[in-house]
Amino acid sequence: MGFLDNTSITVDAILTKKGRELLARGENAFQITKFALADDEVDYNLWDTAHPNGSSYYGAVIENMPVLEAFTDETQVMRYKLITLNKTTTQMPTLNIGIGDTTMNFDTNTVITANTTNGSDTSFSFTLSDTDIAYISADGNFSAATIATQQTQKTATVTGTQATLQPRSLRVAKSAKLTVEGNNTGAISVITLTTAKDPSFTT
Amino acid sequence: MAQYTEFDRETDVVENQRVIVSSGIFSAGAGSLTAFYTSSLQGNQSASFVNVYDKAEGDATREVQFACGFASFGGSGSLGNTTKTATGNRETAALYRQFANVLLPPGTDKFTFTNFASASEDIFFVVMNRARQREKMDPGNWELALTATKNVRLIDDSGATTTPTVNQAGRVFNVVSGSIASGTAATFRTAANGGALGNFYPDLGIIILDAAHMEGSASITTTRSTNGFDNTQREFFKQIAGGAYFAARREEEVTSTMYFCRANNKEFNFSNNPTFTTGSAGQFTQATFEGDPKTYITQIGLYNETDELLAIAKLSQPVLKSFSREAVIKVKLDF
Repeated sequence: MGFLDNTSITVDAILTKKGRELLARGENAFQITKFALADDEVDYNLWDTAHPNGSSYYGAVIENMPVLEAFTDETQVMRYKLITLNKTTTQMPTLNIGIGDTTMNFDTNTVITANTTNGSDTSFSFTLSDTDIAYISADGNFSAATIATQQTQKTATVTGTQATLQPRSLRVAKSAKLTVEGNNTGAISVITLTTAKDPSFTT
Repeated sequence: MAQYTEFDRETDVVENQRVIVSSGIFSAGAGSLTAFYTSSLQGNQSASFVNVYDKAEGDATREVQFACGFASFGGSGSLGNTTKTATGNRETAALYRQFANVLLPPGTDKFTFTNFASASEDIFFVVMNRARQREKMDPGNWELALTATKNVRLIDDSGATTTPTVNQAGRVFNVVSGSIASGTAATFRTAANGGALGNFYPDLGIIILDAAHMEGSASITTTRSTNGFDNTQREFFKQIAGGAYFAARREEEVTSTMYFCRANNKEFNFSNNPTFTTGSAGQFTQATFEGDPKTYITQIGLYNETDELLAIAKLSQPVLKSFSREAVIKVKLDF
């Protein structure tokens, strides 16, 4: 006779940088209302349907993998979220943002529009990993307040159906990642954006 | 189609769970110290306290554990005098007045210990390092041995006191002779039977000892020079180092909120992980996932209404999720 396993999964959470910022701000700015699940560390190619011990062991390699501790940088965790779809789904939602890795010039804005295939998103999150290369706006309006805010941030996220990037004047070319995520489907697309050197700098 | 699940605050969130957590007070959570070190020059020329370390000088990992020293209402043992005719900072007097201001009620300028009629003009003190103590010392769970023969063992009488005195500095217990070596406090001599040897302020991590008692029982040489530096704090430190035993715990009140993250059988069975699909059309990497998809949970993200990630928790190992499995994960967030 064996004993039923009645253990529950209990884990300790840590605050992200954004969480600490909102907690420090006070005035009820820190309000957790929902959760999401993710599997950033998992490689599904390790699912082994030819395992000699049978179907119970298909995921043995994944299930016995030790997992890294959490990072506090919210842009480095929860990248690949689990989503809820109909059981009959045969294709995952994918994003089409129209361009691949791109080099931008200082005096030319770049507009990125996202569309979802195999699913529907009413809005998208556009996250620029380094605002040193450009300012980003959902409506194409770069107000003084928007620029001032993004000058104090390393990463910036805007939400909408498209995003406009206004490259900054740089002495040397610099690159950053732009991550686009469908807010309903969680489908993501990542491209590398490079801002070329401002030609007005001669040295 | 969803990637977020809203919490039902009635059933999924348990807020403000308060838990008292105690641990060893010294570096790395050690419950006791048996070797004590100072800096070679510290306090040799002036001042009336020394910082006490857990490791010898030269060890880059050593940390201050507590400070010990001597204070005198009249300024004995330190340079400077009341008529300001000599140079000196009267450190012992300044420290006595500081302790009196912080620990005693307004209008009281000298320490008086239980069952002693007269106030104590001179005191020894032990002040725990802020980083070691965190919130407070744990009453009834410390013992300090003095002298090489360990014939003076100090504890507090919190175990025998149901109503600790509460004054400006919070709770106050008597320092008495005893030991906690057996696991519970064994008092050799109570405050009512022979007087208290000092006061213990657990909320501040401060132990104040009557210098007159210590001179007798712990053989501390206290020269009371007027306008002269006596290095008395070193004498006190020598007796602590000789006793070679200081055990103490700290206490913290941790406020937690529990979030019960419930993944029902029909939820979270697909993944945006790039290895979950192959090609540009979003087809599954594993053909067996069609009609029976499998995912693994490794991370739980807690979000606000505007989809900002406020807290993150990770599982020690991936947990399988499918249409035939459900998962309840309790996420604990400490503040």
